[in-house]
Amino acid sequence: MILIGESIHIISKHVNDAVKERNPRVIQELAKAQADAGADYIDLNLGPAKRDPEEITQWLVNTIQGVTDLPISVDTLNPVAMEAGLKTCKKRPLLNSASGRTDSKELMLPLAKKYNTDVVISVLTDKGCPPDIDSRIESIMETVALANELGIPNEDIWVDPIILPVSADQKQVREAVEFVGMLADLLPGVKSTVGLSNVSNGTPEELRGILNRTYMIMLGRNGLYSAIADVLDKELVRLNRGELPKIVDLIYKTMDGEPIDLASLSKQEQDYVKTTKVLMAETLYSHAWLES
Amino acid sequence: MEYKAPVETYSGKAAEVAIGKGEKVLKIGGESVLPFHFFEGKIENRPRLALEVLDSEPKGWTEWELKPYKDVLADPVAWAKKSLELGADLICLRLVSTDPAGANAPADKAAAVVKEVASAIKSPVIVYGSGDETKDIEVLTKVAEVCAGENLLLGPVAKENYEPIAKAALDHGHCIIAQSPLDINLEKELNVKLLKSFPRERIVIDPLSSALGYGMEYSFTIMERTKHIGVMFGDNTMQMPIIADLGSECARTKQAKESEKQGLLWESITALSLLLAGANILVLRQPESLKLMKEVIEGKI
Ligand code: B12
Ligand code: SF4
Repeated sequence: MILIGESIHIISKHVNDAVKERNPRVIQELAKAQADAGADYIDLNLGPAKRDPEEITQWLVNTIQGVTDLPISVDTLNPVAMEAGLKTCKKRPLLNSASGRTDSKELMLPLAKKYNTDVVISVLTDKGCPPDIDSRIESIMETVALANELGIPNEDIWVDPIILPVSADQKQVREAVEFVGMLADLLPGVKSTVGLSNVSNGTPEELRGILNRTYMIMLGRNGLYSAIADVLDKELVRLNRGELPKIVDLIYKTMDGEPIDLASLSKQEQDYVKTTKVLMAETLYSHAWLES
Repeated sequence: MEYKAPVETYSGKAAEVAIGKGEKVLKIGGESVLPFHFFEGKIENRPRLALEVLDSEPKGWTEWELKPYKDVLADPVAWAKKSLELGADLICLRLVSTDPAGANAPADKAAAVVKEVASAIKSPVIVYGSGDETKDIEVLTKVAEVCAGENLLLGPVAKENYEPIAKAALDHGHCIIAQSPLDINLEKELNVKLLKSFPRERIVIDPLSSALGYGMEYSFTIMERTKHIGVMFGDNTMQMPIIADLGSECARTKQAKESEKQGLLWESITALSLLLAGANILVLRQPESLKLMKEVIEGKI
């Protein structure tokens, strides 16, 4: 799975301060650390980018490109910042993201065509996040059809099902896995991506990793092409490289409902089984899901 | 073709909690089907009905709420006896006097009242502290100690204070009420934590009961899901019986304060709804709604 490093995020206080002071050090350290850890892309999350969108975006893109050759995922809802970012990228960037929202269809999708980029298209619509699998399908079919009309081929489209926190809605977490599995039939040739860490939003910090990692394997089994993720999580990168086949096998078995003798497993293995069950919505989530 | 009514299969069973001692013992929960699904299996114990008794004279009650208890309001023992005469299966003694925002009565005084009531009446006793997380530690551990062996149902025990209170209840032989703020994930978390040191057969869940029109649907859904998860799907951290402490919630509503009839309907409809959702104990304020619920449970209406 292609990993897009998520750490350069304007919400982070370090990043925000560095941008205000135009201090390249923090940004470059984060870019370098993620590149060294094995990222395939660097996500540059600018948020709404209200002030000086062009100047700031260009400065950030150049700052990152000063230390790594990796391509950049330009992540903002502001079309002005987006265009400035795409223009400045040396490698073919990822436009992150467009959606089924009217403003996005009108302002973002044409940019993907104009700069010949890969483009993330999420299932969001003017009404927000579709509440079930059928309405996700309806939304994505419509937006991808429009992108095709604009001349963007399926091969350049990375579909984002929108991941909700498991602490908020377990059913939707499970359905996103099903949705990813249906994409190959629905829209042949499209790729896919998710904001992986969103699944553990709202969960105590020290417990987030195992949710992210387990979910990555579950989605990967159904063909997920890429994920915006915490690549500084070493176990996540190792799992993704296939270095922990026993864990992957356990997660698959749990997904298939095969009987598993917990007592015969190590604590780490037990935790992966319990986490898979929570992400499959088989057991009710609580912050203490690893304790029972 | 012959018609066959669909029958659900259940992989779990609610825990059966016994409260009170000796001849007073009352069993709660233990059902292996959803509420009122007599056609699918066994409901070991019918839902139990409790009436509220305060440890000090009530403030802010309407005239018609006071009426049934008018001679006994200053005497918790007499009030408790009266409540049993009015048909309650058990009583719910509220230690409102201990509230630091009110009279802030000391723990030992409150504990003495509980002891007196528990020894004087022929039913088990539910005891609710003031709900102040810090003061409740003091009050409820004292109650547990002074009433050792009475097998009270003590609460609320919350995420913030469960350790000392649960320990005292365990040491002195009582059951506890695990309370969480209208959130099924937090409910489960507290259960999981409690179960590490406390037996399932001595815990009752209080998910908070909101009144009709004031968020009752939250309480309904949480109780219903708790039963689905515990009794239908067999999650053993969610099988404890449920208490719906709804009388005082309903009494706070604008509608209940406006007229006697409206107040009665408000409490009765909330009570009936939460019975259907799966509550195993109802805590009511009005004898008239208690009577109605009894008739519902006995299948008379
Ligand atoms: C109904 C209800 C709501 C309704 C309120 C509808 C209304 N205003 O009429 C809605 C869904 C809007 C709501 C929202 C929230 N609620 Co609310 N709510 C309840 C509930 C279920 C019943 C309260 C009630 O109406 N009682 C009957 C009336 C007659 O009594 P009352 O006390 O006078 O009720 C008023 C106040 O309680 C007030 N109110 C309701 N919620 C909150 C929350 C806060 C922080 C404040 C200051 C006031 C307030 O509105 C009521 C009507 O005027 C209680 C749980 C409970 N069983 O007590 C939680 C409860 C009061 N809510 C809570 C919370 C956390 C919230 C939110 C902050 C949730 C959020 N994260 O957005 C918001 C904030 C709302 C606000 N700023 O007023 C907590 C408060 C915890 C605390 N001690 O701080 C409670 C105890 C439940 C819980 N533990 O989660 N709530
Ligand atoms: S009566 Fe209760 S459940 Fe029905 S709409 Fe009003 S608040 Fe919601």
